[in-house]
Amino acid sequence: MPDHTKNDLTNGMQCHEFDTLLSDALDGVVSGLQLDRFHAHARSCSACGPLLAEVEAGRNWLKDLTEVEPPAGLVNNILASTTGVDSQRLRVNVGAPARVASASSWWERAQAWASDALQPIWATVRQPRFAMSFGMAFFSISVALSVLGVKPADLAHVSLRPAAIRHTYYNTEARVVRYYDNIKLVYEVQAAVRELKRNVTPAEPAPNESAPDKKEHKNDTTQQPEQKQERNYSQRDTNVILAGARRYSIAPLGPSVNGPSINDLSVVSVTTYRRFV
Amino acid sequence: MEDVQVTAMLVRRCVAGDAAAWEEIVQTYNRRIYNICYRFAGSANDAEDLTQEVFIKMYRTLASYDSSKGAFVTWVTTITRNLLVDHFRKTKQDRLTDSLDAPVSAHEDAQPLSEQIHDQSAPPDSRVRSREAGEAVHAALGKLSPELREAVILRDLQDFDYREIATVLKVPEGTVKSRINRGRAELARLLQRTYRQVM
Repeated sequence: MPDHTKNDLTNGMQCHEFDTLLSDALDGVVSGLQLDRFHAHARSCSACGPLLAEVEAGRNWLKDLTEVEPPAGLVNNILASTTGVDSQRLRVNVGAPARVASASSWWERAQAWASDALQPIWATVRQPRFAMSFGMAFFSISVALSVLGVKPADLAHVSLRPAAIRHTYYNTEARVVRYYDNIKLVYEVQAAVRELKRNVTPAEPAPNESAPDKKEHKNDTTQQPEQKQERNYSQRDTNVILAGARRYSIAPLGPSVNGPSINDLSVVSVTTYRRFV
Repeated sequence: MEDVQVTAMLVRRCVAGDAAAWEEIVQTYNRRIYNICYRFAGSANDAEDLTQEVFIKMYRTLASYDSSKGAFVTWVTTITRNLLVDHFRKTKQDRLTDSLDAPVSAHEDAQPLSEQIHDQSAPPDSRVRSREAGEAVHAALGKLSPELREAVILRDLQDFDYREIATVLKVPEGTVKSRINRGRAELARLLQRTYRQVM
């Protein structure tokens, strides 16, 4: 954008005002005193004058640019890619009502009506995306049926007589009831075995005395917070270590004659806390 | 019946599934859309593909057209412009306005546009000369930045008014005017060197 303030005061128009008026002036919308000021500014301003000439020249160049002819098959291609129908068929279809009026027999009229009614459906069906969707749906159904164990060959033997359907219904119902009874029996046996096990195994040692204490500490909000609670224990491991292992860890290789064997060592259970930072 | 009402009726028929109405729309607007695509993309093949894409998009979204919000031609042009911009971004052809001295291709020894145009000596036949001039303007148009090019195409080649262009480009009218002026001036500068005698 030209920015020359030296000319601003000489003709009463600033460069940005000239810019704003430029399009309208070329379109012939500006007139009278404003147009005179516009031209005066163009004559006096070293930036706006050439700009006006360039813009006018560019517009004239573009005026001479003629429209180009679209390719001959463009319309047909567009129609084929949108509706799936080429324009030739459409024109025949458009002329169909005249044929219907002239057709005398009811059969021809019905045929024409059916053709008109089915045309949009057929046009949709012929589209590639519909074929693709149909193919995908067919594939999905086939996979689902094969996974469920349904064989298309079996369907040929299915009888659709009412008596046969009733028979199939009762058979299926009986199968479901039988399955339910079997499952019930299995659960009952499982429950009995569990009960038996519980009776046979000796009573477990009493739970750790400290556990209820911990619980109490947790709920006790009146006292000072427990030290351990401040720790972020996300995992607790219980490792079994050999109490006397350290003592014999540097023992020479090979069986020891006098010392205790590794099987004689007492076993101590130690709980360690792993802290994650 | 007014033109706007006729178009709105045509669109309603088309949405209802009337294939003949759709064909009428295609027949009416294919030339305009093809020309916009051709002037913007620069090549006939690209223009043909883009025109088809525009109509496919239009066909899918025709039900969303609201005649109370604006003219159908503005809606169609907006779709075209958006698709052209998308195409431009995809193909990464985003070029800023080049000087005539700048080589067209990336090669350093490539011939500048001015020399390419100048080498083709103007034959005496005025029709051929006019065709050559048209090709030169088309080539220069392709050298403008996309913002300037689309504004100039819509104003000077498609005769849209400033308000319609502002709607299509989604910029204020003042910006539209500024872009048109800059586009015209840049185009003239590009062509001035070649056709100094005409100027």
